[in-house]
Amino acid sequence: MDIISQLQEQLNEMAMLAVNTFGTLQRDAPPVRLSNNYPDPLNPTAAAAAAAANPNPDDPAAQPQPQPGAAAGAAPAQLQAQAALAQPVQAPPALDLDEHPKAMSHALVLAAKKFDALVAALPLSSEEDQLKRIKELQAENEVVGSELQKQLEAAELELKQVEVLFNEATDNCINLKKPD
Amino acid sequence: MAMATSSSYPPPPPYYRLYKDYEKDPSSAPEPPPPIDGSYQLFGATYTTDVVLPSLEDQGVRQLYPKSPDIDFKKELRTLNRELQLHILELADILVERPSQYARRVEDISLIFKNLHHLLNSLRPHQARATLIHMLESQIQRRKQAIEDIKQ
Repeated sequence: MDIISQLQEQLNEMAMLAVNTFGTLQRDAPPVRLSNNYPDPLNPTAAAAAAAANPNPDDPAAQPQPQPGAAAGAAPAQLQAQAALAQPVQAPPALDLDEHPKAMSHALVLAAKKFDALVAALPLSSEEDQLKRIKELQAENEVVGSELQKQLEAAELELKQVEVLFNEATDNCINLKKPD
Repeated sequence: MAMATSSSYPPPPPYYRLYKDYEKDPSSAPEPPPPIDGSYQLFGATYTTDVVLPSLEDQGVRQLYPKSPDIDFKKELRTLNRELQLHILELADILVERPSQYARRVEDISLIFKNLHHLLNSLRPHQARATLIHMLESQIQRRKQAIEDIKQ
């Protein structure tokens, strides 16, 4: 395929990768806690237990899920939502949420690099250069064409001569005359 | 409403009568019409025979790369590629922070794509000339080869 079509295909591929990336992220994103008044969708049982019992002030900070710490309830819901979106879930689909975006963004960056490589491989030259080259080639084509024509005519002449001699030889052979 | 089993198409144009004596006298029949030049109407739409790539402004799309008689295609293509990557990252950020403002970013990304495609399309005449050069070269090569073959 010619390089411009390859570039166009690469561009379409990049668009498709971007769309797939965002679509997959949106599809697989876990539900997010919006406010402390509602139960935590990521961890419903722990939330219920924590809400029933007295909340432990020293919740482990390493806990990735946004626990409804009543003491730390001052944190705005937006920040929690952001944290939930950005961090992996401890439930089974943990692999998807972490590996997929990495793989997809890797593919996107690779596609962009390929596009750059194709751009670098473009054999570009200015329009005047091209027109000049076309004129030169046309002139050379004329010269070579006329020479070819001359050669052709000379060869045809030779062919006629050979034909005449051949006819003579065959006549002599048929009539059994000595060649002179 | 039942359709007619044999729908009636319009009859063919009656020009065939003009060619009654074509076999005996070819010049008695009218000449074929000359090829159309310029713009023409077809099924209510206007088309033009002048094949030229409409500029971005004609299509109502903002042009992101600088307009000049000769454009450094490689540089512009690379710049637009970087812009595209940045905008994709920006879209991802916006979706996390302020998801309701995605529309503007998506518009920007589609604008960049349109510009990129337009740049690539404007490279096509260059490709056509390069193809012509290649064809001329191969023709010259073939002719030279034929001369050599004849000489032998």
